[in-house]
Amino acid sequence: MKTERLTVHGIDLEVLRGGEGNPIVLLHGMRSLSPDARFPALLAAHGSVVAPSLPGFGDTARPKDFDTIYDLVHLTRAIMDAVPGGDITLVGLSFGGWIAAEVAAGGHPRLKRLVLVDPVGIKISDRQTADILDVFNRSPADVRAAEWHDPARNAPDFDEMEDGGIIRHARDWDALCLYGWHPYLYNPQLNRWLGRIAVPTLVVWGESDGIVTPAYGRTFAGLIPRARFETIADAGHHPDVEQPDELTRSIAAFLGG
Amino acid sequence: MQLWFHNENTYPFVPKDVLDSADSVRASLPGKLLDPRIAADLFHECMDESLLCDDVGINIVSIEHHSGINSLYGASPIILGALARQTRNVRILSQGTLISLRNDPVRVAEEYATADVMLRGRLDIGFVKSGDSEMASNNANPVGNLERFWEAIDLIAAALKNQDGPMRWEGKHYAHRHINLWPRPYQQPHPPMWAATGDPDTSRELGRRGMVNSVVLRGIEGTKRAWGAYREARVEAGLPEAPLDRFAYAAFVYVGDTDEEGIEVGSKLLWFLNTSLKQAPQFSKFLPGRMPAEMAPQVYRTKPRPGEARVARPADGLIGMTAEQAIQRQIMFAGNPDTVFKQIMAAYDALGGFGHLIFIGRSGYLTHMEAEKGIRMLAKEVLPRVREATRARP
Repeated sequence: MKTERLTVHGIDLEVLRGGEGNPIVLLHGMRSLSPDARFPALLAAHGSVVAPSLPGFGDTARPKDFDTIYDLVHLTRAIMDAVPGGDITLVGLSFGGWIAAEVAAGGHPRLKRLVLVDPVGIKISDRQTADILDVFNRSPADVRAAEWHDPARNAPDFDEMEDGGIIRHARDWDALCLYGWHPYLYNPQLNRWLGRIAVPTLVVWGESDGIVTPAYGRTFAGLIPRARFETIADAGHHPDVEQPDELTRSIAAFLGG
Repeated sequence: MQLWFHNENTYPFVPKDVLDSADSVRASLPGKLLDPRIAADLFHECMDESLLCDDVGINIVSIEHHSGINSLYGASPIILGALARQTRNVRILSQGTLISLRNDPVRVAEEYATADVMLRGRLDIGFVKSGDSEMASNNANPVGNLERFWEAIDLIAAALKNQDGPMRWEGKHYAHRHINLWPRPYQQPHPPMWAATGDPDTSRELGRRGMVNSVVLRGIEGTKRAWGAYREARVEAGLPEAPLDRFAYAAFVYVGDTDEEGIEVGSKLLWFLNTSLKQAPQFSKFLPGRMPAEMAPQVYRTKPRPGEARVARPADGLIGMTAEQAIQRQIMFAGNPDTVFKQIMAAYDALGGFGHLIFIGRSGYLTHMEAEKGIRMLAKEVLPRVREATRARP
């Protein structure tokens, strides 16, 4: 994968690119994708992957007053307009899954398939029960335990990371909070509109996800017409990090089917 | 020189083992740990201390902090309202107004206009940026806090000034279709405005606006940085030099009959630093938007790399301080009247003067009786000398 710049609607974006064929637009989750991450590279065997760092995340600056999910949804649509090639597969991880679901509910002429991996974005439970573990309000230890199947192996260790990686992490953290603080990582209206998603959809879930549980995932998938729901063993909220091969196999089977 | 009494109405009566094992003494301690009967006594004692200040000519700061042992004054407009009715003489500074935590600044302006009218123009309005655990306690997005802070101040000032019928506001963070305060404030165009900050960038903006810059517990160097930025910004903007009444210095103060008494009782004030500052990492070092991302490596790592400076929030440098250290750093003045007079004047001279001294005169286990004695001693034995000495200064 190569890190490049892409300007869309006047916004300069960091993008990871790789692979050939029909475009796959990949939206990152709570953290921007690392250029040496395995999952985007594996996915690039199945199409031309374009993975932007959304404004505020990674090495993409946030334009003045660009600070809502509304902005991100419109930007994603503009990115889909801008990528060359034909039919688009839109893949969204976690937070990016929310954006992808919003885009798909609105429809896009080139969108042909949708893949959501442990997405957030809807509210299901009663008003005193959070569906999504509040990463800004719980202890880092609780969040770490909920987030990863194998935290010791996969969770970021700031003592081991270089400055650049920590700075990137801090930028991602600020951006996630800006967009997702209130209501916390969901759009109260989205449940109603998921039924408008008209393209084949795969919803994939890490079996050990404690940020948003597989039960939440089943409900999410149930709101999307004819969506396929699958789980991935030995993965938490980030199957792309903990089981990239399994996740890619699942997506490849969906794309080929 | 104006003197201001500052009391956060702390609640120290939670068992030490509970505080030691809690990851945060703010925001998250269960309410059952507070005895409302004790809290009632505290509210009345603190109100009586304020009324004593009213009698002896010391102004009063009405503060706001949320959900912790460090302060019971979350609902600060209620306290301000009580002070507005109960006091007769001195000025009341509402500081801080944690304005970026309130969704409707127009309502805040309405509260202030009402208080100012009740006080017949004895109100000063002080703004504080808030942060840390109060973001969770008040459901306020920590990212964008500063933007909301300034827009809220602009909106409150506009609402207080407006006398010409309904006014509209369509800002980035606040929108209101029909702003028309009744009553309008007693003071015109609005009560004096302050903000508490030691952050030089914020001080710069205060300088451009001509607001009073109070600096709380930052000592001489931190205060110099803030006020230096304030003055520099005024020069850059071509504005006249700010008078000393634009600057307020805040410290712990206790005056006893002897140095021993002053230090022994005064050191109880340090409970505030040593016990009430602890906050969970999600409310402090990992709180989004709290500092530029470029500082994260020094903050996030548990083990600093060789040669790497630790970057902590200003409050972290205060935890675990002794009375001697606090006096040496000039964030506490304690001793007999002569000692305290000299300590205040040393700080005054080191800073090139200031028009206001805010003194934190009760905290932690310092008792009501001790607080009242300290207030009386300061008013009678120290304040006249400070006033005379500062009048003689250029």
